[in-house]
Parts: sequence; structure tokens; C-alpha cells
Amino acid sequence: MDEETKTILENLRKATFEYNNDLAAKSAAQSVKKGIDPLKALDVMTTAIREIGDAFGRGELWLPDLVGASDALQSAVPILEKEIKKRGAHRESLGRVVAGTVFGDIHSIGKTMVVTLLTAAGFEVQDLGVNVNAKGFIDAINKYNANLLVMSALMTTTCVEQEKVVSELKNEGLRDKVKVMVGGAAVTDEFAETIGADGYDPTAPGAVELAKKLLKK
Amino acid sequence: MAVKGYTRNFPPLKILSEEQIEQIHTGTLEVLKKTGVRFDSERALKLFERNGCSVDYSSNRVRFPEALVEESLRRCPSRFHVRARNHENDMVWGGNTTYFQALAGTRTVDLDTWNPRTPTRKEYYNGITVLDALENVSIIPWYTPWFGFENIPPVMAMPEGLAARLRKSSKFTCAGYSMGCEVFNIQMAQAVGTELRTMMAASPPLTFYDETIDAAYRIIKAGFVLLPTSGCVYGGTAPATIAGSLISGNAEIIAGVIFAQLVKPGTRIIVQDFSFPQNMRTGAPAFGSIEISMHQAAFNQIWHWYGLPTDGAVCYPNSKKIDYQSGYEKAIISSIGALSGTNTIWIQGAMYGELAFHPVQAIIDDDIAGMLGRFLEGVDVNDETMAKDVIDEVGPIPGHYLNTKHTRKWWKKEQFIPKSADRLTHPEWLKTGKKDCIELAGEKYEEICETHRVNPLLTDHQEQDVEKILKEAREYYRKKGLISDAEWEPYQKDIASTGYPYE
Repeated sequence: MDEETKTILENLRKATFEYNNDLAAKSAAQSVKKGIDPLKALDVMTTAIREIGDAFGRGELWLPDLVGASDALQSAVPILEKEIKKRGAHRESLGRVVAGTVFGDIHSIGKTMVVTLLTAAGFEVQDLGVNVNAKGFIDAINKYNANLLVMSALMTTTCVEQEKVVSELKNEGLRDKVKVMVGGAAVTDEFAETIGADGYDPTAPGAVELAKKLLKK
Repeated sequence: MAVKGYTRNFPPLKILSEEQIEQIHTGTLEVLKKTGVRFDSERALKLFERNGCSVDYSSNRVRFPEALVEESLRRCPSRFHVRARNHENDMVWGGNTTYFQALAGTRTVDLDTWNPRTPTRKEYYNGITVLDALENVSIIPWYTPWFGFENIPPVMAMPEGLAARLRKSSKFTCAGYSMGCEVFNIQMAQAVGTELRTMMAASPPLTFYDETIDAAYRIIKAGFVLLPTSGCVYGGTAPATIAGSLISGNAEIIAGVIFAQLVKPGTRIIVQDFSFPQNMRTGAPAFGSIEISMHQAAFNQIWHWYGLPTDGAVCYPNSKKIDYQSGYEKAIISSIGALSGTNTIWIQGAMYGELAFHPVQAIIDDDIAGMLGRFLEGVDVNDETMAKDVIDEVGPIPGHYLNTKHTRKWWKKEQFIPKSADRLTHPEWLKTGKKDCIELAGEKYEEICETHRVNPLLTDHQEQDVEKILKEAREYYRKKGLISDAEWEPYQKDIASTGYPYE
């Protein structure tokens, strides 16, 4: 590996640890220009996020760290993914995930944490954002051929929306195709079971383990 | 890690009006002049007589002129430096600064049965290790963590305790007096290069016994810090009213202050409020009462008006367990003490009154100390903390602050994070074994015992000196007949054991 390549990859790692969006985007562009394998560049960042996620799980790092690192990653991902597509390459992934906060709910923090850690763990995640209705989830599952649906709801009033999505999945004949994980402050194990979801975990690192278990990875 | 003093950045709570302070002050002067204080020491009586007091040798009663009271209070430094074994742990007492100190108990308790028992030597040393490790413990006082441990003759409890504190902590420590043990305590402190603080405890009402006076002489002559204290019980050894007990208690303390300033002008003094209402059913002090806080708030106000640092928040709970009652008793007393401007607060470790201590309780209490310390620092208002630029940058939803540099820079400075409090979400708590703060502090206790090491250890030379002084003390008390054969045998066996002195 030449010095320049080494510096670019080091900067991608540094950008993740220092939550530096500008450096992340700049280094991703440099890596494309230099002809570095985009999968390798992405791997450097997801490895760094995984380390941050582990430290978060141990209680050594905090939410602003996780969100900061995630933002840095998201600054580089579109640039690297464009290159991956251009090269006709394929990202090895543990699973194809569609994630979002349900309709009527605009709380994004918990969902973002889970998305970040799933991405870092090696899942290919489509983050639909917040206030996503059943149709939005179903269209995305079809479009990305997803095998895992991750839904978040913070409030008791929006929790029930998760049930609606599960029942729509059944109506569309998609329920056997995707595993469903639910989360959020108002969700419990019992609730997850009642609405026919496949699993629930109260923590973001726990959600990653659950995803691996559900997809038998 | 240096000890933490918290600066109070706002005016203290004032429970008394200026007029009420004047009334209590005038009342105290009157008691000192008219009623007087008993000093059972010819040396002290002569000293007072030489300095203008009226002395009645038949009753050992000393009556103090107002001018001497005022002159003695003026001679006390209002702010001073105290030296710990590790100078990084030195402190400045007085002004707007508050430090926290551990609070002792005679015995430990079993956390399952809540039965009290005498701690082992190993538990004693581990208890000190915990106090050395806790970030808000700045002072490890006399008798701390416990009054003694297994196989120690009572007369040796204080020198053995001090030796243990010097070995396992480099924070500022203190030593008591009894049977002349202050002689050995002073030697040990000098051998390891630390100062000590020792109390001069009145025996209320209005009496100082010879042993107390002799010990105070020695401490003052050694140049250490003196802590005059009353220790009265309102309704028992002082009037039942807060105002009356303030007057009688302050008269005792002022008599101690005058004594100290006559023996050695400029002696560093911190005055203590160690007084409680009487529990009128059991006769014991009513620990944990709200009147303690009222008394201490008034005490802190009056003594700051006099210009002396105060040790005016002793947070003994009445509860026999680590529970809701001990939590609110400690939190209320320490909060009011902190708000009323005391310079030191006793909190970490004690359970029922002085009768029990547990390191797990100390770990929990350290979080109360941290919370209060955070509060005392007050609200930081400047261009950066007002965050106008960040508010503008983030704007309304979908903007948020979690990903801003400002949040990453400031949140840890602004938030106190407790070490043993349960702060999980309900589902996480259910999933991780439903642990409460007692269990979490118990885990912390194990971790500290395993990982914490005192910085620095005593040097070989210092260790030899400490051991030599202990040996002299043992032989001295044995010769005086204060250690019986029944006590001597297990004590000697303990000293000869392979784990001595640390295990």
C-alpha cells in the first residue's frame, strides 16, 4: 500500500473517531479519485464505528459520540456507494435492512443508533427516516429486497402503528420474507409478541445481536 | 487524582436575619461572661487568668471578657492551607469552597441481614482503599472507616486506624485523642509528612475535661489544625431550642477558640457543628432530623459572620439500613449544609448515627456529594454556553443538538454522571437483573478493591517509622495495664500473621 492510500484510509478512520464530517467526505472523494477499492474504504469506517459501538456498549462512550460517528459515516457513504455501483461491485452484507420510525412519530435518536450499529456490524441498511407509513416500509422492502424490517416508536400512541405495518406485511404476502424487529421506549417484549413481531431488544447493541440471531448470522 | 473542592458561585442560604445573628452573638457573650465555662486543667485556668479572665479555682469556672472573645476570633485565619501526605491532595479551607469527607461508624453491617459486627483488618484496609478511590472524598477523618477492627485492644484503635489510613490513602486525614494516643498520632503524621486535624470536643454543658485540654495543647503545639466542637444534644445537654443550643454550643466552641489562640496565636481553626436534638423516647440523639439542618444552617451563617471556616454539615442518618430513609436524611442534611455555605460536609459511609459504616454506603453517598458539588458550581452563563449560534444553526425540526460539536464539548461539563445510581431505561433494567444502587455500588466496591492503589505508597523508611511508633504505643499501653492479657494474646497473633498489616 502506497503512502497516499495509507493516509487516505487513516483519515477515514480518523474522521469517524473525531466525528469530522468534512474530513470523511473529503477523504472518501480522495479515495475514489485515487482508485482505492470503495469496499475497503467503507470497511475502514465501519470497523471504526464498530469500535465506537463496542465502547458505547461498555458504557465508555455516549450518545453524542455514536451520533457524531454515524454522521461522519453518512457523509462518506453516498460517495463510496456510488463508486461501488459504478464498479458493479457488491457489498457482502449480513442482511438487507429497511429501518425507520413509524408514522406519526418523529423521534429519530433510537432508530439512528440502531441503524448506525447495524451498518457497523455489516448489515446493508436503508434508513427511511422518521414518520414512515406502512406503504413506505412495504415499498422499500420490495425495492431493496430486504429481509429485515426494523421499526421504532417512542410513544405509546404510535406503538400501535407497528402493529398496522405487520398486518399490512401479511396482506401483501411479505410477512414470511422479512423478519420484523421493533423498538422504542414504549415497546416491551410482551408488546412485540402480541403484534406478531419477531423480536425486541431495549438497547442498540442488543438490537444488533438480535438482528444477527434472526437472520441466523 | 487531586481531591475536589467545589466553589459555590452564588450567595449562601441565610436562615437568620442580621438582627437574629446579633441577638445570638450577644447572648453567647453574656453566657461566656456571666455563666462561664468549666476547664478541668490547672494549666488552662492559669493561662486564662493571665489573659484577663475571671477564674474560680474552686469550680474550675472561667468567665471571659468580651474583648478577649473578639480578639481571639480575630486571630483565627479565615482561610488557610492544609497539607496532605500527597501534596496534590492539599486543600484550602474557608471562603466559598466546600469539600466532602467520610463519616465513620463503630461497626460494619451485613448487607443481607443488616446485623452489625466488628470488621476484620482486611475489611478495614479495604474500606480506606474505597475512600481513597472515591473522587468526592477529600478528607478521611478520625475513626474512619470504623472505630477499630478485630483483635485490636480498644486503646490501640486510634493509632492502628491512623496507621492504616496513612498506609492506604494519601488524602488528608485526622486523628482523635484518648488516653494520650495523640502523642503517637502526631509522631506518625510527622514521620510521613502530613498534617492532621484533631477535635477539641467540649463535654456539654459548658465543660472541658483535662484529657481534651491536654490533647488540644499537643495538637496546637505541633502546629496542626484544631476543630473545636460542642457535640451538644438539644433538650439534653443544651437547651431544647435551636436558638438556645446555638448559644450554649457556640459558648463552648468560642472557649476552645480562645484557649487555642492563647496557646498559639494564629492557630488554624475550623469550627464544627456536631449537635442533634434529643430523641425524647430513646434518649439517643435524633439523627437525621430536620432541626439538625436548621441548627447547622444557622451555625454556618453565624460562624462565617465571625470569619471562621465551618465544618457544619454532619449527615448521620437514623436508618439502620441503606434505604429510602437513609437516602433522604443524608440528602437533605448535606444539601442544606452545602447551600448554607459550610466548608466541609461529612457524608460518605455512615449508616445509623455513629454506629455503623459500610463502604457500599460510601460509594452511594459519593454520588450525593457529586450532585451537590455540581449544584454549588452554579450556572455558567457566557457567550459559548448561551449557544446562540448553535441554536441558529440547528433551527427547528428536523434539526437536533445531539450531533453538534457544542453538545460534544459541553454535555460532560454540564452534566454530573453518578457512579452507582441506576439510570437505565425500564426494559434495560429488567433485562440486566433489576439492579438497584446498592447492588451497583456493591459491584463498584469489588472493582475498587481489585484495582485501586494508593498514590504514593509509604516509602520503606516511612513504613518502618510508622511500625516503630505503633510498637512503642503497644508497649506503652501494655506497661500501663491498658491492654489486658486476654487482649494482648490475639493482638500479638494478629501482628505476627503473614497478612499483617494489609490483609
